Amino acid sequence: MLDQYLQADSPYVKVFLASMRYAAPILAAIILLRCCWPLLTFRREPEIWAMLRLPNGKRLPITHWENIIGRHRRCDVLIDLPTVAKTHAVLTRYDDGSWTITDTGTKSGLRVNGKREDICALEREDVISIGGVDLVFEPISEPHVAKLAKLRTRASSGTQSIANLLLQSLLQSLSGLAFLLGGADAMPILLGYGGIMVLEWLLLIFYQMIHRPAFEVETLAFLLCTMGMAAICAVKPGESVKQLIALVLGLLIFLAVGWSMRDLERAKKMRYVAAVAGVGLLAATLVFGREYYGAKNWLVIGPLSIQPSELAKVCYVYVGASVMDRLTNKRNLISFITYTLIICGCLALMNDFGTAMIFFVAFLMIAYMRSGSVGTIALAITALGFAGVIALKLAPHALQRFSSWRHIWDDPLGAGYQQTRALMCIASGGLFGLGIGNGWMKNLFAADSDMVFATLSEEWGMVMPLLLVLTIVALAIFTVRTAFVSRSSFYTIGSCTAAAIFLVQTMFNVLGTLDVLPLTGVTFPFVSNGGSSMMCAWGLLAFIKAADTRKSASFAVRANDRRDSDE
Amino acid sequence: MNRIARRSAAMFLLVALLLGGISFFVADYLMHGKEWVMKPGSPHVYAGPNIGCGIVTDREGLLLLDTNNQRIYSPDASLRAATLHWVGDRYGYISAPAVATYAEEMAGYDIISGLYSYSGAGQTRLTLSAQVQKAALEAMGDKKGTVAVYNYKTGQLLCAVSTPTYDPDNPPTITEENQSEYEGVYMNRFTMSAYVPGSIFKVVTAAAALEEIPDILEQTFTCTGSRPYSPEPVTCSKAHGELDLYSALAQSCNCSFASIVDQLGPEKLQYYVEKYGVTGSVSFDGITTASGNFDLTNAGKNQIAWSGIGQHTDQVNPCAYLAFMGAIANGGTGVLPYVVEQVVCGDAVTYQASATQTQRILPEQIALELQQMMRNNVVEKYGVESFPDLTVCGKSGTAQADNRLSTGLFAGFVTDEAYPLAFIAIVEEGGSGRQVCVPILSEVLSVCKQIMDE
Repeated sequence: MLDQYLQADSPYVKVFLASMRYAAPILAAIILLRCCWPLLTFRREPEIWAMLRLPNGKRLPITHWENIIGRHRRCDVLIDLPTVAKTHAVLTRYDDGSWTITDTGTKSGLRVNGKREDICALEREDVISIGGVDLVFEPISEPHVAKLAKLRTRASSGTQSIANLLLQSLLQSLSGLAFLLGGADAMPILLGYGGIMVLEWLLLIFYQMIHRPAFEVETLAFLLCTMGMAAICAVKPGESVKQLIALVLGLLIFLAVGWSMRDLERAKKMRYVAAVAGVGLLAATLVFGREYYGAKNWLVIGPLSIQPSELAKVCYVYVGASVMDRLTNKRNLISFITYTLIICGCLALMNDFGTAMIFFVAFLMIAYMRSGSVGTIALAITALGFAGVIALKLAPHALQRFSSWRHIWDDPLGAGYQQTRALMCIASGGLFGLGIGNGWMKNLFAADSDMVFATLSEEWGMVMPLLLVLTIVALAIFTVRTAFVSRSSFYTIGSCTAAAIFLVQTMFNVLGTLDVLPLTGVTFPFVSNGGSSMMCAWGLLAFIKAADTRKSASFAVRANDRRDSDE
Repeated sequence: MNRIARRSAAMFLLVALLLGGISFFVADYLMHGKEWVMKPGSPHVYAGPNIGCGIVTDREGLLLLDTNNQRIYSPDASLRAATLHWVGDRYGYISAPAVATYAEEMAGYDIISGLYSYSGAGQTRLTLSAQVQKAALEAMGDKKGTVAVYNYKTGQLLCAVSTPTYDPDNPPTITEENQSEYEGVYMNRFTMSAYVPGSIFKVVTAAAALEEIPDILEQTFTCTGSRPYSPEPVTCSKAHGELDLYSALAQSCNCSFASIVDQLGPEKLQYYVEKYGVTGSVSFDGITTASGNFDLTNAGKNQIAWSGIGQHTDQVNPCAYLAFMGAIANGGTGVLPYVVEQVVCGDAVTYQASATQTQRILPEQIALELQQMMRNNVVEKYGVESFPDLTVCGKSGTAQADNRLSTGLFAGFVTDEAYPLAFIAIVEEGGSGRQVCVPILSEVLSVCKQIMDE
């Protein structure tokens, strides 16, 4: 009985498949909107950690863990007197609730309780003198911290997260069903889609257990993974399980990186581990790696083949992030530049142009976030060197793509083959697609990775991959918004760099496919088929999660009411 | 922290770049998506090198080509050969631009749904008649050239055959021995070639004379077989004696026409040739035909005279000249020829051709006078018995070419209300236009009459 309704040519199936063309993008758009709304509109309520009392009795709130005191209008604590330096001192809170103040090397200096200090631990009622102004330091008591924390608006309720995930599961079930009705092999579809559903619900349940109900960022990432799975099921269904395993590993990396950043002191120590791991991964690739398509960036260990350069990105972001009191320190900057040059050298030797570009953008983002005025010139010189190496490496490897850029129709069967097929298939799909299983893109090389935008466009319609691009954009805008209420520059630099990498990879991947940019070989985060890329994407997402200071939002952020942190 | 937070705004630069690039693409898609999807090789529209999204039929609905799957042609071998230059071959040597132009309509493409509603059931109906095509191919025999007939009231091309041709189901192996036999086989001579027109061009000069010289019909010309020019005279094959304009055209007297050209002068001649559009090109169904040539730059007096007789550097495209014939027959305003009648996708008619009137190129009075003069040619010279039951008007031409036999041409029209047909026949190395073309057209026009009577 049921069989007859499920025949491929039954009118029920036809109507279902036809309506999926509109249902899928509508569902995806609803999920995107519901998740983005809280991320992009949340009230940026500062967390208050201490007060500075002025001689006139006025109190200045201290809203970050790292605060610059000075005359410059962008200072966290602004004292507009000519005797105060533009950037005079840095006031820092530590995980254990202790505070220090550091002089940035000013002429007039810093006095604590009348004594000149370069760096000094602060106690309650200590008097800080800066440029002749006396400020009395009043850290907020722990009960007070807890009280303030309770008054803050919750990030989101668990019910909303569950509702979003139910919608997502609906999208996944319908997509899976559409594949099955289209006559695809059942096993890879069931495992692929089923696996993602199980994983997302497990993660949500885990979050609910630790009282961190906000799930928007993860829901968006899973949305991207779901559509990535759609491309894999269309192009290489046999690899759906492999991608699922990569997703599991990615989630573990996500949780591990997030956990390491929960404690800033731990995170600072982990930076060294990350630094060693980053270089180690690249060095190992150089020694033991295999060369595919001109770049020696694969490491094959038994049945596993990974691209260590992807994982090195996560390490690099970790190394690049830094706390504020070190930002004013030149030595720290020089060691970061040195580290960058080592990484750059490894990539040059590996001939990995695509990854080098990503690292370059990450470097620029970190450099810009970190540099005040001191290191700008040095950073610029490093950037130039980086670009030079890329330019040298570019010539043999990517020259062909450059020469056909914006001229793909001149040689549609040669240099322009990939891009012309992509454009023709995108146009064939229109805005809502030819329907699942009706695509031609699967015949094209790298249809599920480099060309994934076109593959999804053809079968699901151009609206769908455009929504995926907007998803990445939403994550990036969120990191900017949350930067203003961030506790430490470590989290801000980390999250912004991670988001910048997402943006740039998306840009290179999508615009490369569409012949707007002359690039190929870069993956679309979470979407492109590729295990290492998937793990890297989740690792980077941890940085964004760690910057989410909305109340009870993030497992990677310790609640500021420490007494009952499980509130 | 404030300062660092503000620096995060650098992210907006990347966001702007990404969204800018995407917007650029979306705009590109809206403007060119249609073209992309119809580009040769487009996976959902093309099967191999040619269009593959429906069937192509003749005017009666007779199958010429099913483009789906492996391209199935008509079961009739001579029909396959006769229509090859309109439906294209399997390997992309011969393209089918008219059919490809309507691929979008045949596939049912639109910018919102893409090719979603496309079912492979598109149908393009040509204006060509399978029966006439076959008759024309048979009449051409193994000669190279082109024969075309169109309805000058509606613009429909009933027949347009280009030879040499071959059976696409049985393509020849072209070797060094037989390559002369297949010279230009991949070209549709009707649209893609330009020929020296020879004496058929005298109609153009006569039309200009009627417009420009008030007493031209009263004038008489004396032909001694040669009209002196420096360095060389214009000559006739024999001395025609006393002639008026009617008999000068009927006898195709070079000396008389040289005298007319002298009266017109080069500027006027150039002006009328351009006005009639005979040496220009014609566009229909996405095809722009080859252009002809009419160039009096640095021409001496005798060269100017020869160019008024269709020699010197004159060239005409067969289709453009056919359209000129149609305009005379139609009283001075032309209707452009076309070859695609209707395109259907599923149940919807996605394209329906209609007559495209051109601007008036001749006053009606002069068109009627030319009709009579060209009718006089047939009555006096070519013989009405060649075209039984049809009032045919025409002019032959024999164009001298360097180092090879002359090209025979014949162009004209039928003035009967029921058979509004204009025609042209060109046979390369065919010798006398009258001798080689009249029998071909006699056969082709009688089949045309037959199918119009049905």
